[in-house]
Formats: sequence, C-alpha cells, structure tokens
Amino acid sequence: MAEETLVLFKNIRNPKYDKSLAGYKRSGGFKSLKKVFGMKPEEVVQEVKESGLRGRGGAGFPTGLKWSFMAKGTGKPSYLIANADESEPGTCKDRELMLKDPHLFLEGLMISSYAIGCHHAYVYVRGEFFPAIKTLNAAVGELYADGLLGTNPLGSGFKLDITIHTGAGAYICGEESALLDSLEGKRGQPRVKPPFPAVSGFNGCPTSVNNVETLACIPFILSDGGAEAFKSFGPQNNSGTHLVSLSGHVNCPGVYELRMDVSMKDIIYDIGGGIRDGKKLKGVIPGGSSSPVMKADEVDVLYNFDDLAKIGTMLGSAAMMVFDEGTDIVKLLHRITRFYAHESCGQCTPCREGTHWSSQIIQDFLRGNGSDEKLKRLYRVGGNMLGTTLCALGDAAAMPIQSFVNKFPEEFRKYYATL
Amino acid sequence: MPFFQIDGEPVEYEPGEKVLSAVLRSGKIIPHYCYHPGMSVVATCRMCLVDVIDMGNGRPAPKLQTACSLDAMEGMKVETLNQKVEEGQKLVNEFLLVNHPLDCPVCDQSGECILQDYSFKYGSGKSEMDYSKRVNGWRDIGTFVAMERNRCIQCSRCDRFTREITGTNEFGMFNRGHELTLDTYADRPMTNKFQGNMADICPVGAITEKEFRFKRRVWKLKKNYSICTGCSSGCNVTIEHDRNEVFRLKPHENQNVNKWWLCDEGRLTYRMMNERKTRIPRPLGRVEGNLEGVSWEEAYGAIVKRVKELKPFPHEVLALTDTRASNEELFLLQKLLKEGFSSDNIFCPLPKWGQSESDFFINTLITTDKTPNRAGALALKIKGDEKNAKLKKVIEGELKVVFILGNPFEAESEIKEIIKRTQLVVHLGVFHNSWGEIADVVLPGQYYSEKEGTYTNKHQRVQSTEIAIQALRRTRPEWQILAELLQSLGQTSCFDSVPQVFAAMVQEAKAFSGVSFDEIGSLGIELKNKTKDTGMKVLVKQA
Repeated sequence: MAEETLVLFKNIRNPKYDKSLAGYKRSGGFKSLKKVFGMKPEEVVQEVKESGLRGRGGAGFPTGLKWSFMAKGTGKPSYLIANADESEPGTCKDRELMLKDPHLFLEGLMISSYAIGCHHAYVYVRGEFFPAIKTLNAAVGELYADGLLGTNPLGSGFKLDITIHTGAGAYICGEESALLDSLEGKRGQPRVKPPFPAVSGFNGCPTSVNNVETLACIPFILSDGGAEAFKSFGPQNNSGTHLVSLSGHVNCPGVYELRMDVSMKDIIYDIGGGIRDGKKLKGVIPGGSSSPVMKADEVDVLYNFDDLAKIGTMLGSAAMMVFDEGTDIVKLLHRITRFYAHESCGQCTPCREGTHWSSQIIQDFLRGNGSDEKLKRLYRVGGNMLGTTLCALGDAAAMPIQSFVNKFPEEFRKYYATL
Repeated sequence: MPFFQIDGEPVEYEPGEKVLSAVLRSGKIIPHYCYHPGMSVVATCRMCLVDVIDMGNGRPAPKLQTACSLDAMEGMKVETLNQKVEEGQKLVNEFLLVNHPLDCPVCDQSGECILQDYSFKYGSGKSEMDYSKRVNGWRDIGTFVAMERNRCIQCSRCDRFTREITGTNEFGMFNRGHELTLDTYADRPMTNKFQGNMADICPVGAITEKEFRFKRRVWKLKKNYSICTGCSSGCNVTIEHDRNEVFRLKPHENQNVNKWWLCDEGRLTYRMMNERKTRIPRPLGRVEGNLEGVSWEEAYGAIVKRVKELKPFPHEVLALTDTRASNEELFLLQKLLKEGFSSDNIFCPLPKWGQSESDFFINTLITTDKTPNRAGALALKIKGDEKNAKLKKVIEGELKVVFILGNPFEAESEIKEIIKRTQLVVHLGVFHNSWGEIADVVLPGQYYSEKEGTYTNKHQRVQSTEIAIQALRRTRPEWQILAELLQSLGQTSCFDSVPQVFAAMVQEAKAFSGVSFDEIGSLGIELKNKTKDTGMKVLVKQA
C-alpha cells in the first residue's frame, strides 16, 4: 500500500495550518535558516550535494553540483532565480507550494542565496498564477516586516532582497536562459549555451536558476540530520521525496508527495484510486507532455529519474497524465503538438517549422486524410526536430510525436483515407 | 596559434574563437545563414551543423553541433562532409523551405540568394510539405529598403543589425513560433542612415533595396572594386554594372576602413555615374565669345599658343582644384605648374571637417567632408586654408593663366568674379558648372568609375579604383589630360599610365615615399609619413 511521505507537504496536509509567517514559525519554520547562518556557505553547498537532491524542474540535474559550478571571484554579484514559471502541461506542484506554504519555499530560497552568496534573489512567477503571485508578495512583505529579509536578518550580517517578478505567459520562459532574457526585459528566447548561466546569466553575472520544489526541499535538507534522512527516501541517485502531479482519468487526481521508490502502478491504482468509471488503462504520459508516452503494460516501474530513463522515457517534472481506453490518441497528440507549435519561440529553424508542420499533418489525420506515407512523414518531421534545436523545446515537441507513432500506430490507421 | 582539424586539414584559431569563424577565416566554407562575423552569435538557423568526432579529449560529441557556437579546442577533429552532416543540412534546408514562397523568378535576390544556393547544394530537391504556406505580406519598412516577409527565414540578422551595429533598435521580432515575423516597431518606417546594409546581410530576398528593385537580374551585373567617393571615409565598394550602366554600389569588406558596411548616401552616389545630361561630352573652346566643340589637338594648340603669347611670370599663374581629384591628378597639376610655369600657386578648399563620435563604429563612417581626397591634397602640400585667405591674397595681384580642376570654390562668387577677368582660363572637369561659363578652354574629364586613380582617405590610407564602365568617347581621364598638357608645353616627362604617375609621385612627394602602387592592392595601404593636422573636429557624441 503506497502512501505519502510528508516533507514538503508536512504543513499543507495539516488542515489547521496557517500559512502566514507566524504560522510557519509555529510549525518549526526558519530553524534551518538560523542553523545555516552559523555555517559557511561552502558547507551548505556540500550538505546539499550529500543529500543527492536533483533538480525538480525536469532535467534532474544535481542541485549541489549546479551551485558549485557558479563562477567565483569574478567581481560580479551572483544571482539566484527561482523558476516558478511552471507551465509544462500536467504539472501543478509549484503552484501548490507557492499558494499554500509560501514561507517554506522562501526559506529555501533564502538558504540557497546564502549558500551561493546571492544578495538579490528573484522569483520568476508564471504570469497566470494570480493567487500565487498575491500570496508570494504578501509573504515577502511579511518577511521584510519581520526583518528576515533586508539587511542583517537574525543578526547574521547577511543581506538579502527578494523580488517577485511575473512572467507574461510564455512556456518557453520556463527554459532557464529564456527566463533570464525575459527577466532582463528582453524577448524571452533561449540563449546559446555555452556560456551557461552559472558563468554568465542574469545581466551577465553568475546565476543559478532553480525550480521552486527544489528550493522547497532545502530547509529540510539543512535541518539536523536532514541530508541523511532525505537520501534515505529513495533508491540510490534518486533521493528524497518529490511532488507528483497526477491528472487524467484517475479517480483521485491531485498533487501527492511520494518517495522515489514507489511504482507507477501503485501511484495510479493506489494513490490515484484507479481508472475512472472502471475503465482500462491505455497509457500514461509520465513526466509532463514532453516525455515519451508509456503503454499500459509498461507501468510496473519505479517512478524515479533512473528507472524511467532505463525504459526510454523520463521523469521530467513528475506530472503523470493517465488516459483510459476511451482516449483518442491522435486527438491527444494533436493537442500536445498544437501546444508546442503555439509555444515555440520561433527563433530556430527545426522547431519553428517542425512543430507547426507536424501539427498540420496530425490535423490532416483528424480530417480523415491519413495515409502510411503521412505517418512516416510525421515520424520523420518529429525526428528531425530531435537534437537539432537550440534549446530543449524541439526535443520536447519531438519526443511525444515519435513515441505516440511508435507505440500506437494502429490508432493512426483509424484516420486513414478510405478511398 | 593552436589549431584543430577540419576534414583532416589543420585550421588555426585564436584562443576563444568559434569553429565557424576560424574556418571561414581560413577560406573554407561551412554553410550558414544567421551567423555574421560582425554580429553576435545566435545559432538559430542550425545550418552550420558539423560532426565533432573528437572534442579534443578523445571523445566524440553526442550529436551534431552548430559550428558558429562551438568553441574551438586544441586537437579537435571536426567533419563537415560526412553523411550525418549532409542529412542534418538537408533537414534544416527542408524546414527552411516549408514556408518559403519559392518565388525566385520574381525575386530580386535570385542569383545572390544564399537560400537558393544552399538549396541546390545541400537540399533534397523535393518537398513533402503539401499544406498552404504562411503568408505575411509586404512591408514598407524604411526609406531605403522594403521587406517581403514571406521570404524571410527568421535568421534575425536585420534585428541584430539595428541592435548591435547601428544601435537604433528600430527593428524587432514579433509573434512566436511559425508566425514569427520581423518588422519595425510601432509600424514606423526606419530612418537610420545604413538601411542598405540590411539588404546586404539578408541571406534571402526578404529585405531588398528600393533603389535596385526590379531593375536588373543580378547575374547580369559585372563587378569592379572601387571606393566610395561620397565622403572622406573612402569606404570600399563594388561597382555593379551592366551594359555600361551602373546599377548599384555594394560594400566590399575591408576591416581597416568600413568593415562590412556602407551608408545609404554612399550607395546613392551610383546615380552620378550614370549622369549624362550635365556631362561635358567633348573639348570646348571659346570662339567669338561662345563655347564651341573643338578637337583635342585644337584645344591643346590653342592653350600653348595663348601661353606663349602671354608669357606669364610665375606669380601670374594659378591653379585651383577641388579635393575630389585623385592623388595622381593633384600631383600632375602641381607638376604642370612647377615645370611649365615655375609656379607653386596651387590652391584647394580646405574647410574644417568633422565626424561624430559614437559607441557604434558605423556612425563614424559618415564625415562632413564630402570629398574623397582631402588627405591626398594635404599630403601633396597643396595650399589652402579654412577661410581661403591665402588664395584671396594671391588673386589680388594680376593673373594671366588659370587652371581649374573639377569644381573648387563653387560657392565663392567673389573669387570667380576676379578669375573671370583673367586672359586664359582652362577648365578640366566632368560636369558642366559655373567654371565652364567663364573658361576659355574646357577639357572633358572622366568620372571616377571610368578611370583609374588612387585616393587618400581620412585615415590617410591610399586606396585605388578600377575602371568599371566605359567613359564617353571624346573624354579623357584628367591625369592623361594633364600629362598631355605638360608635353604640349615642352616638358620632357612622359606618363602613359596611373602606376607611372604614382611612381613619380612616390619619388617626388615626401608624404608618399615608401609606398608602391602594387602594395595598395584591394585593401589599400596607410601612409607612413602622415600629415599631423587634418583639420578634423569631432562633432557631438552620438548615443
């Protein structure tokens, strides 16, 4: 029987929890911050490294390692940017954190800022998250009023400001370099890498961009014995608990906090309460719309970075979308492809032309004009975007196309022209 | 310098340089659209894909890399011709053509279009795109250029040009995804002075010069190197002409002068090359008060006869020239006075000139001195001052023979009034002007696109021009006229070609010593003995 392990959701699952600063402090908040101010920044980074925390934004890059890449001794200020531009279809975990327990996330942000020597942190929030923006602004206001932000919080001699910045509604601005461009006031487009943000990021200064959930893990890791405990929550290299956004045709969709050694089958049938209306499972998109789709017979696998990578898909942002036997795969793929065609920034060729072209081809199928030739073409156009683009959006658009065609070819045949 | 290998051949690179930049410098070609050596790297066209089989550490790169953004490493091995790369190029080209209208037959870029060339060379020759293409339509984006947005391949060179080169920020990207277009902000047409460069750097026919549109197919144009004579910057240009008619000037890369750029004003100077109405078509002599057509022999004979009659003293002879004349012409005019009349009364207008000071290099290309050879006149020590005080002193005395080269002191009616009273006025010029009206003999010269010559620009760099188009039948280049006058007046020196005159000038003029005509080549050479005060002042600093 799978059940939730409460680290990030410890407060949120408490029905009497008061999300104000006073409430957060009552539930043991800011103890880690206090402890961290007694440590050296390098020790903090080391602790995070030891915990094995991997970025929760989708790429799963070890967070401590990312921080240790930050250029030092450049004479430029360092920046920490919290990536709260959560826009991967199916993902809704950061919103929960920001809306229901903003101080946990902000404490993580403050500890991380201390660790990398950042004196002005930004939170880049998705523009559509109006309630979350309001909550965050109120929370930051409380912190300033309490003296936890600004100069000399808790008598530490450290100085930190936090600015909440709202995006303008572009999926691509969740890509870290596009986010930085957008934050600088430019058109949000991914930059050429290298140089990576750790060397030249926001305003050309060393910058670390971290996901909200990643930062929210930090207070726990830095609490006494936290790193060890965090590591014990999952198999090797996949430590900690993570938030799973379960959606689709399950009886109990929602955001759940799970260890990394829970199998997908348990998540769907146990946590999610099984498929809606007693139908059969057809497939699962395991990690946000960009991850390759899985068929019903593949779901008996541990839901973590490495085990999913082994079977050719990915954990991504841990947004599991479940669909039952009544789902029209072609329509589903069309919806996904249209999303990427709409959200492609358009600067680089394969993605700009490929996303739109592939959605046109699928549209053609939906009109009943499909053919073997067109299916091959769709597969080829998708493949041509894979690995040839500047940022990962081309890959994100290509992976579902190829996997859907590979795994559900018979679904496309339903739309072949019958002449 | 360290080097890496490309297709088995070593290529040198400067530390920190990108692969594409080093490869292009070495003269090899990797196809590319968005990369321009003068602007930042965006790596968005994805055409310059290369296969890195060894990253310098023995390991291959996991996938194809864009050469424009790939840091060159010691010992790196790069392949550009293998099957993987060919497939990569093919797919990028296919994507670029998905929404390109392929209206080459009616497109002005056709023939110099990179997309066209690469599609032939690297494309697959067929398209599987069978849906209607994106339509964006024509935009009047500027005073000098127009934009056909359907042809645009979104390489963003034009966007980066206004951002990084002119700093005017008038141009930007609009919309997203396949609807991405480039346009001016707020529908305002551009007004910067360098729009023509956007047509040059546009790899396709999206941005074209209004001045050139629909006039001639580019493959018919013949090209000759020259320099722009619109101001004293001396930007390197290519004169593009067909059937003795010039159609446009294009900048010609010279890192020491204009880099890749040319201003719109300079581009428009091509119009004068085709000017026929105001050209002096043949030698003219004054017969009973009227200018009438004469032969060259008659004109020379008349001049020699009058000179012999007048027997002028050195102070009674004067030569006026403008600074549009080439170094050789100025030198020969000086020689004519010195050897023919033992005089050194040679003057040119030398008003103060200036250029703006700017963070953007391109703004310094336009100077207020609209003549190409002021520095040459200074180097040859031709007299003159800001207010023409010295000249006015000379013309107070009696004058018997005056030579006018070009159109100097055009606005100084006072000087003209005095010279009108002189007994012999010889005018050498290309166009009819007010000097012709008071001249006794008019000798028709040739425009700089029709003759050879060297000019000294504001940085005192000597650059040469080629003959691009044929001159009118009965005209002669000024250097030749002056050489023939020298001979007619009994001097022994004989010049048959511009290099010969240049060699004599190197011998006799101190400023030019140590320079040889062959050294000038297509990029020019800076004078070793520079004039210190060129009369330059810096105008207001531009943003």
